[in-house]
Amino acid sequence: MSDKKGKQREEMQSLKILIIDDNEQITKMLTTFLELKEHKCTIANDGKEGLGLIKENEHDVVLLDLAMPEFDGYAVIKDLEENNLLRERKIIVFTASTITQEELDSLVQRGITSYILKPIDIDKLLSKIVETANS
Amino acid sequence: MAPIKHTLFLVSGVSSFIIFYMGIVNYLSATDKSNGMILLIFSILVAAGTLLSTVYISRSITKPIEKLAHNMREFSKTNKLSKKNPIKTNVQEIFELNENFETMGEQVEQTIEVQNEYVEKLKEMDRKKLEFSSMVSHELKTPLVPILGYVQMLQNKDLLGGLNEKQMEAVDEIHASTVKLQRLVGDILTTQKLDLGKLDFTVEKISFAELFNSIIKEFTPITNEKNINLELQFEGDIEIQSDSDRINQVFSNLIKNAIDFVPKNSGKITIGATDSDKSLECFVQDNGVGISEINQKDIFKKFYQIDTSTSRKRSGSGLGLAICKGIIEGLGGKIWVESIEGKGTKFYFTIPKKIVRSTIKKDSN
Repeated sequence: MSDKKGKQREEMQSLKILIIDDNEQITKMLTTFLELKEHKCTIANDGKEGLGLIKENEHDVVLLDLAMPEFDGYAVIKDLEENNLLRERKIIVFTASTITQEELDSLVQRGITSYILKPIDIDKLLSKIVETANS
Repeated sequence: MAPIKHTLFLVSGVSSFIIFYMGIVNYLSATDKSNGMILLIFSILVAAGTLLSTVYISRSITKPIEKLAHNMREFSKTNKLSKKNPIKTNVQEIFELNENFETMGEQVEQTIEVQNEYVEKLKEMDRKKLEFSSMVSHELKTPLVPILGYVQMLQNKDLLGGLNEKQMEAVDEIHASTVKLQRLVGDILTTQKLDLGKLDFTVEKISFAELFNSIIKEFTPITNEKNINLELQFEGDIEIQSDSDRINQVFSNLIKNAIDFVPKNSGKITIGATDSDKSLECFVQDNGVGISEINQKDIFKKFYQIDTSTSRKRSGSGLGLAICKGIIEGLGGKIWVESIEGKGTKFYFTIPKKIVRSTIKKDSN
């Protein structure tokens, strides 16, 4: 996809994005930004709630944090994997945890669509979201 | 050297033979054959007795010594006293020798046990240290996400409405500091991992032409802004098996340092690499203030910053060069510096074309 085409799509599309993160300041910031860019956001502040919403399949892209209390991102990934849904959904893992490249690669092997490490450049995040939605 | 039983058998064999020989000679030369016969039988009995007692002496001395030697060998291999092969002896010297050996062995066993406990404790502490710094790094990075996000939104006039010039300057300052903070958090974690040998490397085929391309692309805006001449001395391409992100990190750290030290408006930074058999020799050269010989020894140490109060303030964390050293050594190479004060500095480092897995420091657990 050329840059120009990507930009056009970015401007044209209004995506439904599910954000799963326990940090309310992060979800609020992302919502503010993505809504300014004409996308629709749904927020889940814990993994259980997020998993339910992923299963309903009403979103184009899911942003999934890994480190959350109790039911974390790994648990969400494991549940989706067991239900053969991990490859069906477009999931971007975004995390601030100390995670090795090997671990990230193995998550991709298992079926997540992409990943991005925090702190994030919001413009880069947006292009990753659009790219993932169109993949 | 010969086993003692050979000596014993040689001595007793010769003695027995002499006694037997004398008995024969006496019998042949005797006038009274029956008297001679008695003496001959007697000499045969003495010779046989000598041989038999030699066998007995040899067994009671050499057998337990051989066993003890075997036990010692086993001990030096395993550091554990074997109970499989107990030594029974009536010889006092051997008994004492064995007893002393066993006492020594028990003490060594105990010392090793205590040492192992310490090693385990240290490993546990190391693990906790890394866990702690991972946790701190995670906790510090998390609030940086909304800070950077909102700053980026403010910088884009299409999103939250335009700012006036002064406001924009303030936001740019916040952005610069936040990025610095973010880098520092990353540096601290990288150093911690290097210390514990837990920095992971991703080895893949990398092209140096591409690597240099992205480095030049990354730094050109900054060097242009500061009127620094950034030059690449590298032709063609070399492909090696290594970790491109880490090598990029080393070049970036060295270039950032150089940017800090080159003269205003006439700064020159040259980077490049030359092929030398099994490795690549890379360099980052500047025409900056240089590093005195005394300081050259210490610059690769953590948190070491040359006192630059007379020149200009440093912006780094003091971890950059320590990280470079850790990465290069982790990849199996070497890093060093050549510098003349007032003239400039040239950092060299080598990168093996193929990484040997065992050279990568990894935790043995």
